[in-house]
Amino acid sequence: MADNGFQLQFKERHSTLNRIYPLVKLIWVVIVAVGLFIYKSPLPGAVAFLLILFLAAVPGKIPLRQIFGSAKLIFGLGLLLMIFHFFADPGEEIFRVGFLKITDTGLMQGPVFFFRLSVVVLASFVMIWTTDPRDLMTSLAKAGMPYRMAFTVFLAMRFLPLAQREVEAVKDAHAIRGKAQHSSLGHRFKLWQRYMFTVLINGLRKAEAAAVALDCRAFGTAPTRTYVKDVHFRVADLWLPLATVVISTLLILVERGVFS
Amino acid sequence: MTEIQSTTPLVLVDRVSYTHWNQTEPTLMDCSLQIEAGTLNVLVGPGGSGKSTLCSLFNGEIPHLLGGKMEGTVFLNGVDTATLTVSDLSRQVGHVFQDPETMFATLYVEDEIAFGPENLRMNADEIRRVVDELLHMTDLQEKRTNLVWALSGGQIQKLGLAVVLAMNPAMIVLDEPTANLDPAATHSLHRLILELRQRGMTILLVTRELDDFLLTHADQLLVLNQGCIFASGKPQEVLLTHGMRLTHELGIWLPETAEIGLALRTGLGGELSELPFTAQGMLDALRHYGYLKDHLNGKPIPPEVHTHEVLIRARGLRYAYDAEFEALKGVDLEVYRGEILAIIGRNGAGKSTLAKLLTGLLKPTGGELRILHKNAREWKVDQLADHLGLVFQNPEHQFLTDSVYDEIEYSLLARGCEDDDERKRIIAETLKQLELDDCTGIHPFALSAGKKRRLGVATMLVGQPKILILDEPTYGQDKQMTQTLMALMEDIRRQDVTIVMISHDMRLVQEYADRVVVLNEGEKLFDGTAADLFVQDELVARANLRPTLLEEMLHRYLQSGGTLTGRISNSHDFIHALGLEVQIGR
Repeated sequence: MADNGFQLQFKERHSTLNRIYPLVKLIWVVIVAVGLFIYKSPLPGAVAFLLILFLAAVPGKIPLRQIFGSAKLIFGLGLLLMIFHFFADPGEEIFRVGFLKITDTGLMQGPVFFFRLSVVVLASFVMIWTTDPRDLMTSLAKAGMPYRMAFTVFLAMRFLPLAQREVEAVKDAHAIRGKAQHSSLGHRFKLWQRYMFTVLINGLRKAEAAAVALDCRAFGTAPTRTYVKDVHFRVADLWLPLATVVISTLLILVERGVFS
Repeated sequence: MTEIQSTTPLVLVDRVSYTHWNQTEPTLMDCSLQIEAGTLNVLVGPGGSGKSTLCSLFNGEIPHLLGGKMEGTVFLNGVDTATLTVSDLSRQVGHVFQDPETMFATLYVEDEIAFGPENLRMNADEIRRVVDELLHMTDLQEKRTNLVWALSGGQIQKLGLAVVLAMNPAMIVLDEPTANLDPAATHSLHRLILELRQRGMTILLVTRELDDFLLTHADQLLVLNQGCIFASGKPQEVLLTHGMRLTHELGIWLPETAEIGLALRTGLGGELSELPFTAQGMLDALRHYGYLKDHLNGKPIPPEVHTHEVLIRARGLRYAYDAEFEALKGVDLEVYRGEILAIIGRNGAGKSTLAKLLTGLLKPTGGELRILHKNAREWKVDQLADHLGLVFQNPEHQFLTDSVYDEIEYSLLARGCEDDDERKRIIAETLKQLELDDCTGIHPFALSAGKKRRLGVATMLVGQPKILILDEPTYGQDKQMTQTLMALMEDIRRQDVTIVMISHDMRLVQEYADRVVVLNEGEKLFDGTAADLFVQDELVARANLRPTLLEEMLHRYLQSGGTLTGRISNSHDFIHALGLEVQIGR
């Protein structure tokens, strides 16, 4: 099966981010998310956005085409969220489009929400692209999480690219059916519903079969299990969360006007 | 714990009935069988007869995991499986699912094999040894660090086998392992199964289609019909006693040699005491009884049905998924109006990529492709859909509505059929033609696998395409339905529709295709008739193909000095050419 390059899956690129201990990357995603919810203005979010793009492209060695290809849906949703805030937030009217008014608060909050959504998702994608799910599971189990729970995280990451492939296959198959005449917006919505239904049903079936298969392979019968491949924490890996804490703190301080 | 007293077989299924939790009618009914240790057992039965359900009895999926209601007892080594845990059973019986990909839990081939032993808390060094040994046995050493979903169909089956063997079971159950494999991958898997049997493994192999390998090597043939064992015994015994019923009533595919042998036995008034399963064995038997003449008259070669109007022309056609993987590497191809063209080749040869290019779902990354006199890059998929249909391998992906009726109606509306009465008439006709008229109101997802495929074909047929592409058109269909579907394809071909079928079924190709294109690693290896293809041993081997038994018989017959006029494309033609007026499975 070919990899079309837009899959939400791990690929070993022998990059700096590939080598960082999985649990450290997970903690890094949490730090990024916390920072985003503390920022009150768009500038820190924009800086975080650019920094994560840089991290993905340079230390992560992920092609920009893949980054934007996979995240375009999220960026699109982020833009919609931003536009919604332009018009929905209360505040002083800046200008008016028909009956819709754009407020000063909306202009400020719209980009904040865009960056919150985009940066959190992008940081999660960076983790998915650079972390072998097996290593994440092992590191979580080593940190004390019950292995059955750690495996759930692994399975979620494993099934993501498969779900994406299923979506592509259903899209292709529906395209071949052609368009019924007088194709209206309502009809398109019905198609979208069908599309989700097919993916969901097949996903549930696969999950059911996978659950039976796991039982048949004695998964979960013993309180512990062997790991043929191990992962090892290195203190040097802490540069990523530490640098993020420092940058986030600086951004918060700048935003609060501590240096002015 | 219940134990039975007599000399115990490895498996004893004693009057088991089972109803799935979401069904009211039992799938297995008063089903009894036994399996001896160290034997190869083949279970055959029509679609919906309960084969997969039966497979779930041995490793404890029933009654421990799947719910439902079970009566009767399954004994494993004399112990009632209801009293054992799934964990205990998983160490004794391994079940390779029909789609082994659904069993896989990790990302990489070597991790997948290690997964079970890791759960059993085996020592890490011991697990590494087991993984190495199984990779060697299944010939997957070079793929050990590959992603599990980057394997070919044959490799997936082998990995499924390695995964269950890693648990060191005494018995393995293989559910239709060769259903979607190319002939050479099937052959390779068969050899592996034989090796396992020689090592003392007990094997239950489920299939819809009996071939010469299975009939020659199986210790026991079990026939399941409507949830109970219809016949069991040595393959020879079962075929001699029930062969005609298997093919006529149950729609089970028998190898051509067995079909001809049954006809010969009938012609001889039952004198033939053993059916030869190999091509040479069959020819020898025919010679012995004086049926094989020096000259055979086949059916007249039909005049060329297709015109010379080229509907699709490819020149140096290329398609690359990314910089690392080019699926098509400069293919030249013509597709004519009104022909049946078969595209064949090993798993991963580029067949499905070609189908997607022909339907506009992919655009060429190199070379030229003209579809219906227009550059492929200028076609939009929905515009092309008005002229060209594709029946996907997984028909569920194509369904858009909540009932069988609506599904066909959608296609009619898409082609602009606005007249209500006209639509009703066409739908009724199509449903009847494809034997779907008893399920008009049923949700397409609730149909059996065979009916889903027929519905997939129906939705494309009513669109009146100029070209119809079928990806494994008869997968999951029994013999009668395959013949019905292919007769339908021949009918619409007569109306000038071009049929392009992608198939691993060499019998289908030999019988129905006007022309065969062989793809191998993205390149075209052959373009001609099936008869011309199968005599080229080197090419056939290179493309991972295998001639049909009938083709092998004809080849040997001609090599031994026999002559043939006309065409023999199925065992029925051969039987007719021998002068045996016996109907076999038609």
